[in-house]
Amino acid sequence: MRQSVFLDIFIWFFLIVFAVFILVPILFMFTASLMSSKNIMRIPYPWISGEFRWQNYWQAIKGNDGKFFYLKSIWNSFLVASLTTIGTVLLCSLTGYGLAKYRFKGRTFVLLMILSTMMIPFEAIMIPLYLIVTNMGMQDTYAGLIVPLLMNAFGIFMMRQYLLTFPDELIDAARIDGTSEFGIYWKIVLPNSLPAIATLAILTFRSQWDNLLWPLLIIQSPEKKTIPLYIIQFATEKYTNEGAMMAAAAIASIPMFILFFTLTKYFLSGAELFAARKD
Amino acid sequence: MGQAHLFPKVIDLRTLERKKAIWGFIFTMPAIIFFAIFSFYPMANAFWTSFFRKELLSLKAPRFVGLNNYLYLLRSESFWNSIKATAIFAFGTFVPMVLFSLSFAALILTRKRFQKFLQMAYYSPAVLSSVVAAAIWLLIFDPRGLSNQFLNFLFNTKGIDYRWLSNENMLRLATIIVYFWKYVGYFTIIFVAGMASIPKSIHEAATIDGANRWQDFWHITLPLIRPTTLLVSVMSMIQCLRTFSTQYLFVQGGAPIKPIDVITLSIYNTAIRDRQIGRASAMSVILFLIIMSFSYLQIRISKTENITY
Repeated sequence: MRQSVFLDIFIWFFLIVFAVFILVPILFMFTASLMSSKNIMRIPYPWISGEFRWQNYWQAIKGNDGKFFYLKSIWNSFLVASLTTIGTVLLCSLTGYGLAKYRFKGRTFVLLMILSTMMIPFEAIMIPLYLIVTNMGMQDTYAGLIVPLLMNAFGIFMMRQYLLTFPDELIDAARIDGTSEFGIYWKIVLPNSLPAIATLAILTFRSQWDNLLWPLLIIQSPEKKTIPLYIIQFATEKYTNEGAMMAAAAIASIPMFILFFTLTKYFLSGAELFAARKD
Repeated sequence: MGQAHLFPKVIDLRTLERKKAIWGFIFTMPAIIFFAIFSFYPMANAFWTSFFRKELLSLKAPRFVGLNNYLYLLRSESFWNSIKATAIFAFGTFVPMVLFSLSFAALILTRKRFQKFLQMAYYSPAVLSSVVAAAIWLLIFDPRGLSNQFLNFLFNTKGIDYRWLSNENMLRLATIIVYFWKYVGYFTIIFVAGMASIPKSIHEAATIDGANRWQDFWHITLPLIRPTTLLVSVMSMIQCLRTFSTQYLFVQGGAPIKPIDVITLSIYNTAIRDRQIGRASAMSVILFLIIMSFSYLQIRISKTENITY
């Protein structure tokens, strides 16, 4: 009995130490975003400084040149991530539905072909992709950021697996009622697969929100930069102080934290999906 | 009369099947076109271009050079340096990542309270974007930052600068810590899901047979989540091989590039800064082959490792 209590305390100790290691940098970001450089660089770091330097946030938003490009880049990130998400959800669910519920010649081949693209890492094809997008005239445009990322094999596979168990009766009933095949997808399948769609939507939105490499290749104009590009530029500018840099980082993180706290289930199920892929 | 009725119905069904087949094809058509343009063609193009001397924004026609790009890379010191940097980073990150996420998932599941809270706390860095993560740690690794304060506290020293961003090995360790910190929670969640799917009755049976918690973990949990463990290992390995943001921001922030010049960063710089598209393509092909061999392993594992309870 005593040994068990001892073990319990031991386990709690480890779990808490690890949680501290994980949470300290996030706390650091939020506290430092309200401090002057002098306080941030003080030894030891003053966790509760009592300082509320909101002008750090103002500086982050205004930018060192006073042109408010950060606001623009937040809007760009929202726009690009949302459009990619809408497109991905529609296209992946349509393809997944076609593969799950229709029998046609070459279906297995198409599925295998799509799955095989999972083996092609984006980093290995980014240079040819960059040249293709340039040839299509989509350099330095939102379309260039969105179009090549509109579909992904994992999303299609996920939707297909989900729709395999979709009740055929619902589909057949709609067909007898004279609904067109596309109508069935639009009015029956899509509204009835919201859990899978939500998970896919969050995965897609996050990966676009987070994307650095592709915008780095495609975007040159300052007014078209997304948040990661802006933060890199802001962080390396001479007049940026540490507090303003953390304020910029905090601003970029707050929308994601809000999403995370309201939709925790779908965030975690994105990870769990992977573990469930046992078949 | 009955037959006359049946006959058109049979035809009807057949045309329905045919109609459905056509629609199935139409529904998958966008995907086929998309992947042809944005996955297969670029990959084939990378292979093709790797045999040419081609420069970005140059009007000169690409010149066929056979295997010269590959031979150049094999003799190039900087290429081997980036292979080394990638290997150190990938192994240095993935081993602790798998071990820690596995153990912390097991520890979380022994708790009756705060399970959800701990999972959310561990997962939270994965919510941040990687540039933000790198920016935070850039300040933590500052000579006057938290990391030096922590080590000085730990070793009971005063004011020693451990040169996180300038010493070769410390810089490598720094990028590993950033990546580990960001993704360890993500993999912990995967393990939690894997472990939670083991039926309780198996654990109960073991307890009745007199197994303690340690034996239960070692002889029941661990063998049963083997597929998850193997998949997490391969997946985290592939992710580590594709790392870019942390290294990019650290270099932009003033850290020396050589110790952390991972292969993705090297491809980017070769193509965009040096404008050597042919050479960058050869590096892309090599990266593809390395990752492909790991993906192949992943498929083999998921095919052979089936566990039924």
